[in-house]
Amino acid sequence: MADSTNDNAWWSLKPVKRPQVPSAQVGLPARNPIDSFVAAELRKDGLSPSREADRRTLLRRLYLNLTGLPPTPEELAAFEKNKSPGAYEEVVERLLASPRYGEKWGRHWLDTVRFAESNGFEMNQPRPNAWPYRDYVIRAFNEDKPFDRFVTEQIAGDIFGVDEAMGFLVGGPWDQVKSPDPVLTANQRVDELHDMVGVTGSTFLGLTVGCARCHNHKFDPIPQKDYFAMKAVFEGVKHGERPLRVSDMEARNKELAAKKARLGEVETELENFEPLANPLATNAVRLPVNARKNLERFAPVQAKRLRFTIAQTTQAEPCLDELEVFTAEKTPRNIALASNGTKPTASSVYPNSEIHRTEHINDGRYGNGRSWISNEGGKGWVELEFPEVVTIAKVVWGRDREQRFVDRLAVDYKIEVATESNVYHVVASSVDRQKYDAEKKADSPALASNEAAKKLLSERADLKSRIAELSNGPMIYAGTLDGKPEITHLLYRGEAMQKREEVKPNALSAIPVAFALNTNAGPAAKIPKDLTDDQQRRLALAQWIGNPNNPLTARVMVNRLWQYHFGTGLIATPSDFGKNGAKPTHPELLDWLTSEFIDHGWSMKHIQRLIVNSATYRQASAARRECVAVDANTKLLWRFPPRRSDAEVIRDSILAVTGKLDLRMGGPGFSFFEANENYVRVYSPRREWPPETFRRMVYGTIVRQRTDGVFGVFDCPDAGQIAPKRGTSTTPLQALNLLNSSFIMQQAGFFAERLQREAGADSTAQIRRAFALTFQREPDRKEISASRKFVRAEGLSSFCRAMLNANEFIFVF
Amino acid sequence: MDENTISNAGRWMLNRRDFLRHGGTGLSAVALLSLLRGQELLADKTPLQWSPEKPFAPRAPHFKPKAKNVVVIFCSGALSHLDAWDYKPELIKRHDQPMPGSAGLVTFQGENGNLVKPIWDFHPRGQSGKMISDLLPNLADMADDFCFIHSMTAKSNTHGPAENQMSTGFILDGFPSMGAWATYALGSENQNLPAFVAIPDPRGVPQMGPNHWSAGFLPAVFQGTAFNTEKGIPNLETPREISSSGEKNTREFLKFLNDRHLAQHPGDTDLSARIASYELAAKMQLSAPEVADLKKESVATLEMYGANDSNKVKAGFARNCILARRLVERGVRFVQLFNGAYAMGEGVGNWDGHRTLKSQYDVHRTILDQPCAALINDLKQRGLLEDTLVVFVTEFGRMPTFQKGASGRDHNPHGFTVWLTGAGVKRGFSYGATDEFGYKAVENVTTIYDLHATLLHLLGLDHQRLNYYHNGAERRLTDVHGEVIRGILS
Repeated sequence: MADSTNDNAWWSLKPVKRPQVPSAQVGLPARNPIDSFVAAELRKDGLSPSREADRRTLLRRLYLNLTGLPPTPEELAAFEKNKSPGAYEEVVERLLASPRYGEKWGRHWLDTVRFAESNGFEMNQPRPNAWPYRDYVIRAFNEDKPFDRFVTEQIAGDIFGVDEAMGFLVGGPWDQVKSPDPVLTANQRVDELHDMVGVTGSTFLGLTVGCARCHNHKFDPIPQKDYFAMKAVFEGVKHGERPLRVSDMEARNKELAAKKARLGEVETELENFEPLANPLATNAVRLPVNARKNLERFAPVQAKRLRFTIAQTTQAEPCLDELEVFTAEKTPRNIALASNGTKPTASSVYPNSEIHRTEHINDGRYGNGRSWISNEGGKGWVELEFPEVVTIAKVVWGRDREQRFVDRLAVDYKIEVATESNVYHVVASSVDRQKYDAEKKADSPALASNEAAKKLLSERADLKSRIAELSNGPMIYAGTLDGKPEITHLLYRGEAMQKREEVKPNALSAIPVAFALNTNAGPAAKIPKDLTDDQQRRLALAQWIGNPNNPLTARVMVNRLWQYHFGTGLIATPSDFGKNGAKPTHPELLDWLTSEFIDHGWSMKHIQRLIVNSATYRQASAARRECVAVDANTKLLWRFPPRRSDAEVIRDSILAVTGKLDLRMGGPGFSFFEANENYVRVYSPRREWPPETFRRMVYGTIVRQRTDGVFGVFDCPDAGQIAPKRGTSTTPLQALNLLNSSFIMQQAGFFAERLQREAGADSTAQIRRAFALTFQREPDRKEISASRKFVRAEGLSSFCRAMLNANEFIFVF
Repeated sequence: MDENTISNAGRWMLNRRDFLRHGGTGLSAVALLSLLRGQELLADKTPLQWSPEKPFAPRAPHFKPKAKNVVVIFCSGALSHLDAWDYKPELIKRHDQPMPGSAGLVTFQGENGNLVKPIWDFHPRGQSGKMISDLLPNLADMADDFCFIHSMTAKSNTHGPAENQMSTGFILDGFPSMGAWATYALGSENQNLPAFVAIPDPRGVPQMGPNHWSAGFLPAVFQGTAFNTEKGIPNLETPREISSSGEKNTREFLKFLNDRHLAQHPGDTDLSARIASYELAAKMQLSAPEVADLKKESVATLEMYGANDSNKVKAGFARNCILARRLVERGVRFVQLFNGAYAMGEGVGNWDGHRTLKSQYDVHRTILDQPCAALINDLKQRGLLEDTLVVFVTEFGRMPTFQKGASGRDHNPHGFTVWLTGAGVKRGFSYGATDEFGYKAVENVTTIYDLHATLLHLLGLDHQRLNYYHNGAERRLTDVHGEVIRGILS
């Protein structure tokens, strides 16, 4: 295909013009201009719209589509009773105002931007502080945040105190495996920025800007230089967490310091309850070793040197993150610190490693990243030489005080001391420790039996939870910004090592909107002075994207909204409005909606209100033969296209029907997986479902590569790439999961309990209640008799299990 | 109808199941199809037709295939080509000398020491006299059956991206795996088992875990199903509290509900597809346990594989190898068998021998060798190699040097060995070569794209025609690269 760099005559790049509303009247009366545009296209093909769907179907469709949850039988009854002409519109307003709306529509946005809460690639470690972006998105939909503002905050939220919105830019996969190899490092950085450029282009502009990394775009007018100009915009953004700025930061930090100090005192006091080490013991009275922290108490002894010798580990070469030696004073001091002049030596050290070094053993810093590992399988020793002979009474050591790693743990070891005489003797060892058990997490029995200790334990627990609150709360996975972006070069063939000329930050040249650095003329918002270079770049791009004269931004978003109402957008390729994408089925309707969008302050709810109130949306969904013959894919919307519900809608609906749905909003999510602490995370699906997993599925922590073991197979995206449009596959594994998973069996049981509670002991009443809750309708006589027979033979739970598997429950009509 | 009236995406729409779902019965769609044919619009891109009611129904390839099934044996962690397959006399001669031109070379984990000769000695094998090391003696003895590619190269020197590339063609996350592509194109010969089965190692899954069998943006039904003889398909079994008659009644009752619902919505084949998926699931509930149950295997077979070995991991891997054969026997299109897992850390459970290569490989070679050799022998004896292609891969190679201060080799994507055997490839043949030390591929340099193109070719598929629209591009397993390695075809 010919290079089309200078061709901006493509429809989606032309300015948006509000078209005349056609006067066509076919079949149903138009409820709003949408219907006239749709009717005009139908007429061209000799088609007519379908009649309005019945009230039950309408209400179910509206609830599932706007909130992702079915109406209750009571809500349906009220709607059927309400004969006022505005009854339907009233429901629309109520649902658009419901917090459930943001949870449903926020999830669609998360698909579009490939959001997940783990790093992906090889290690796929969690991002425990990525969830604020999810909450931000849900809030934005619920508040009907003007879309141009939504754009600005996601690209430059730091300028406006909305840091969490920038989870967008760093929402993609990130390879955390780092290497001294400069080529690999350069490639990784180029790929990181590629993700940011690509997702910004596809999300807001509906253009595959990423395709111009290696060469000018093959289909669209995006020269390679434009790609790198956009890359320059993000050059100052790196993956990682940054503190979430909160107003009471200073007070929090002060409290944090005080609590940490007190925690240290409490732990020291608790340690005094522990038995002394006895290297000559024959029975194991002391706690087994653990990877985090181990205490060795002994009678005060003089030492010039202390040697820690490991004879066996759980696996591989041993690792110690810090070895602390305390004086026998009233307020013990850690004499081991290098800052006291103590010198470490070791039998060997892990080669070529920045993070595992002998001097890390006494640098006062915890964690695997500042640790020592030997170069001998399962063994090795470290020795500390103090500046002078000191009296010591306690040693504390661990493998990883930050609790990320549990391997390489010393299980057979001894601690010896020597004075000037160079004669070593053992002060503590593993002989009197219980056998190591990775599963076991016990507090010492010595503590449980002592009242004073119990008090301290409870104080410790309070301190720890407050410290966690104070120190974890304010961090956020929204990227790190040092304000000093590196120089951007054009890369020949997109390859990191093939640098060519410098490229300045800019936006796409094919769109005639100015990209203005140094601007203070933002949309009503107050823009602080003294923006960094990096902030100016991102703000300029955000304003360029959100400029009403940008022909793409509003069109793309309007189309996304349309897609999630009808299953397919007016453009079938929602993140590709370029030449390789689909052409609009209703170009004038798209532009009319786009004009409405911009003229109504970029209000998403305004567009959705128009859509769901239209006669087009309210049509019945029967597959009329004569129409199928002309337009099998329902592209022209002669009916409401039925479809299988998304995974989230199915799971949330099940919980709603069984009465177990927990509507708590926001905060860290729940996990679909069993806990695991490996270096390379393995996510094993949960087998048991405690109540915290009964929250809406959008609050389930999204793990890259691995979707929920029950509902993931219903086309949940794996967040490796963007998913602007989900599949609606049907697979045998879906059937197996919905029939046999522990989740379904548990929920079927809850459902049965609910039926007994609400309908009493009468089988017919139970069955009627089940149909009302699951299908929002009454069963007919045949259904009642078949159900009664089935319940009699197999019990109520089995009946509930079958109901939750029925097509009528899983599809939206 | 000219080209402008149907965009690329329009053609993609035709590819989609919507076309068949709604259009398969509609006259107009058939008419459209023949019109498109008439215009030769479809000469390059015949829309791939598959029915959601029968997702695994066999589908015609582009041309007559050499292979019907594929078994990929994936050694996770990067199996050292220099200690196994790639004989380099110069490396032996210059043992413990610096590699020329390597001053200042920094590889994945850092600096490197001197050249180190293979840790296991090489000897001539079979009729061909092919030099292979003692690392994997049983496999070595089968050299006359293998077609070696000694000049393979990878795009990344990091496990994650490199494993992604070997299994999906892309170093990034999120792309469809080769098994998903193959079954999307061809369906399967067995309708009661998944079309694509991934068999994880008894020790766990490799670094990239489920990416290896991901459907990416292809329809979810083409995702590989992961199970082995120890861990079956999740949720396959009917819960214990449900009796077999209860299960039968449940299915009938569910069918009753669904049939009545379908009657009210005639013409919506999504509904009947979902009814069919329950029938398929029921068949799978019978077939999958049967295929993983080795009770009917003879004692001799179990012995040949080492399935009762006292080494539990070896025995587990051996059982996985038998499972692979049983799947192929039953017509499953694509089987990916994994050797090695990462959960235990670097080199402990896989081939990532950075520091203590000898002692780690001594563990792994015992697990891999006998069962893997038995699998190939067994396939051969049963005549299954006639239409099965076996591909033995790893994500990249290792350095001819030891890492500085260590007794193991660092990552090396510049040249390594994979081998093939079975349908459509030469036997006792070696293709391409690395330099004198085995560091870089220098002769007939091949890429993973080439390997994928060749694999698809042997299945009767043109890798340039097997595509699927996603995010602005007609995506392929081979991206925009790849050439069939003609030199290895029989």
